[in-house]
Amino acid sequence: MRALVIDDSRTMRRIIVGVLRSLGFDTLEAADGREALDVLESGVQVDLACIDWNMPVMNGLEFVLAARANREWRDVTLMMVTTESEHGQIVRALAAGAHEYLIKPFTADAIREKLQLLGLVEWEVSA
Amino acid sequence: MSAAIDLASYAGSDPIFTIAEEVFGAMIDTEPETLREWFGPAPGFGDPTYAWVDVGGESPGRVLLTTERSTATRVTRGLLGLGPDEAVEDADFVDALGEVANVLGGNVKALVPDPGALSLPRVSHAAPDGPVRDLVHELLLDWRGACLVISVWSLP
Repeated sequence: MRALVIDDSRTMRRIIVGVLRSLGFDTLEAADGREALDVLESGVQVDLACIDWNMPVMNGLEFVLAARANREWRDVTLMMVTTESEHGQIVRALAAGAHEYLIKPFTADAIREKLQLLGLVEWEVSA
Repeated sequence: MSAAIDLASYAGSDPIFTIAEEVFGAMIDTEPETLREWFGPAPGFGDPTYAWVDVGGESPGRVLLTTERSTATRVTRGLLGLGPDEAVEDADFVDALGEVANVLGGNVKALVPDPGALSLPRVSHAAPDGPVRDLVHELLLDWRGACLVISVWSLP
């Protein structure tokens, strides 16, 4: 599995990348939605995109709309990871085509649980 | 933002303290409950760091984090998972403090009905300039013995 982490904060990219690598993902990074589209347009196969909302150049919602407009990327799972926590914003993102929504601050466990719900990480089976 | 955050509706608990606890508990600290209320007046900051975001909309406002630079450096180390002796680069310092302000501000924004867009964060050794209208709320926090101040301002 390969994940693309899209956030203008390199601190936040570093945190999310660390969690995803611990879950077995290969990772790529982009500092805004435009950079992320460049990655997808280069033909790199991506299974998951973790997307911040507020970014310069192209924000996360614009990226979701652009990604959903291209049928070649319809298998990419889109998860917003953002501080935008109002109900209306969540609805907007999901309506635009995001599959999941994780509000900052988050824990590593919260990311794992979201990815389990999305079927990208296996559920742990207790003995 | 002034009338928008109805603190009385939170039955004695400060929602901004709750937000700060969640931010520090989830992202910065490996130990629980390191954040508590600061008792007494705020100390003067000799080498302050300011990190803030603005909220647009009909009631524009600002969420501002102020602390001593040495404390901000410790916050950065916590966020990046660095050891106490590891150097903190300036770019990491600005980025990490900005992200703390972003997460604090984004969650404070959610307390306001019909808020506008959140600005990108800014970090500076100088207080933000430009006019402000009112201090809406100020919360003094004790984090591992150091003082952090979270203030919410209404903007014209």
